Amino acid sequence: MRARGYGRRSNGISMADNTEHITCQEVVDLVSDYIEAALPSEQAALFEQHLNFCGGCMNYVEQLRTTVASVGALREEAVPADVKAELLAAFRDWRRT
Amino acid sequence: MTSATVTREEADLLERLRAGDERAFEALVESYYGTMLSIAQTYVRTRSVAEEVVQDAWLGVLKGLDRFEGRSSLKTWIISIVVNIAKTRGVRESRSVPFATLAAGDDEPAVSADRFRSANDAFPGHWWTPPADWRALPQDVLLGRETLHVVTRAIAALPDAQRTVITMRDLAGCSAEEVCETLAISEGNQRVLLHRARARVRAALERHLDG
Amino acid sequence: MIAYKFLRSDGRGVFTGFRWPLPDGAPGGWVHADIDPCRSGIHACRLRDLPLWFGAELYEIELDGDVVREQSKLVAARARLLRRIDRWDDGLRADYVSWCAGRAHEMARGAALDGYDVMVDPCAAQGGASVGFVVARIAEELHGMDGYRAERGRQADWLAQRLGVSSRPVS
Repeated sequence: MRARGYGRRSNGISMADNTEHITCQEVVDLVSDYIEAALPSEQAALFEQHLNFCGGCMNYVEQLRTTVASVGALREEAVPADVKAELLAAFRDWRRT
Repeated sequence: MTSATVTREEADLLERLRAGDERAFEALVESYYGTMLSIAQTYVRTRSVAEEVVQDAWLGVLKGLDRFEGRSSLKTWIISIVVNIAKTRGVRESRSVPFATLAAGDDEPAVSADRFRSANDAFPGHWWTPPADWRALPQDVLLGRETLHVVTRAIAALPDAQRTVITMRDLAGCSAEEVCETLAISEGNQRVLLHRARARVRAALERHLDG
Repeated sequence: MIAYKFLRSDGRGVFTGFRWPLPDGAPGGWVHADIDPCRSGIHACRLRDLPLWFGAELYEIELDGDVVREQSKLVAARARLLRRIDRWDDGLRADYVSWCAGRAHEMARGAALDGYDVMVDPCAAQGGASVGFVVARIAEELHGMDGYRAERGRQADWLAQRLGVSSRPVS
């Protein structure tokens, strides 16, 4: 799974114009855009193709999705009653002025 | 996906707020409090300071409510108020960020190069040690208190721009458009910042979960 | 036009998780999607694409309306599943894996490519898509991109024959 332009391989044939597959390192670079649906379709296809045969990268994508979900989970906290009361008092004050 | 201007729902809410409708304000507080507190906690050292930041932010919202023109969504406006107050407070605290040494420059790759096979290998660019399958972990570990604390600290350790972007996008659920407008950055720039921020938080999670 | 589609064992898309209406004696219901080149559309395989997209289940799919031909897949706005291809099962998948692993070892050892040779069995354990890729990469190492494509063609032919689906002219 070589990157484009990695240079010469052992038998001297250049990989420079290879567009048939991407490497795991490229997957790592593209994954945020992929889950944002911001990859051009050609790249998204190569990306998904790679996931198909690379369990490591499939795990990485899932890890990133989990990361995003856990960041989202931070917002869950409920307002304490005393804080809410204070804020409502401030709201009434504001309306009076 | 929230729009970059006030939505119809928000417009109705604004009207009710300006008319002094307490239930409307209560609903607003309930919607945003958790998000605002979490954001504040990524900028300041202690929870009690974070609570003060949120309090100040709400006062800022009330002060600005009559003048708010709706050029951004109400949500984005509220979020940017708390971000600004939190930043200012964080700077004033001159918090020594113990993680500052870990947060290297912006050129750091998403995953360290030594996780991948080198150019001489049969499969250059392929994983040496593949990432673990987190789907095998129990939900209460993944979303438990300890893990969320690790996530908060990881966000707190991010370079400023990355922290703001991931906070607005993934914590507060703002759209890419809204973030670009608030921070006056391009779409491409926003994507790069988000990518780097997410990668760092993932790495912190990995260190915590895989031990 | 007729094409092929892999799904998960629960009838959902491999990458999208979209729940497809499954055929049951009669074709499944029509599914619509906007073809937005960067975002959406219904994906399907030509025969030659099969080795790249393995899933647990294989279906014959009818595509309707505009169909965009891309390098390794088709993208359509409207499609329905016609029938499950029953010959695609664990047994066939295991045969495919054996066949690929055998070819991989043969080519790698023949050219003293030890680095590749040691990867064959671990990748074979991961499944058909993984080991199919390794074989194609070894072929590429030996004969360049033409070798890669030729090996992929060989894989597609093997599958077409075993699945009992006719080789259609490349469209």
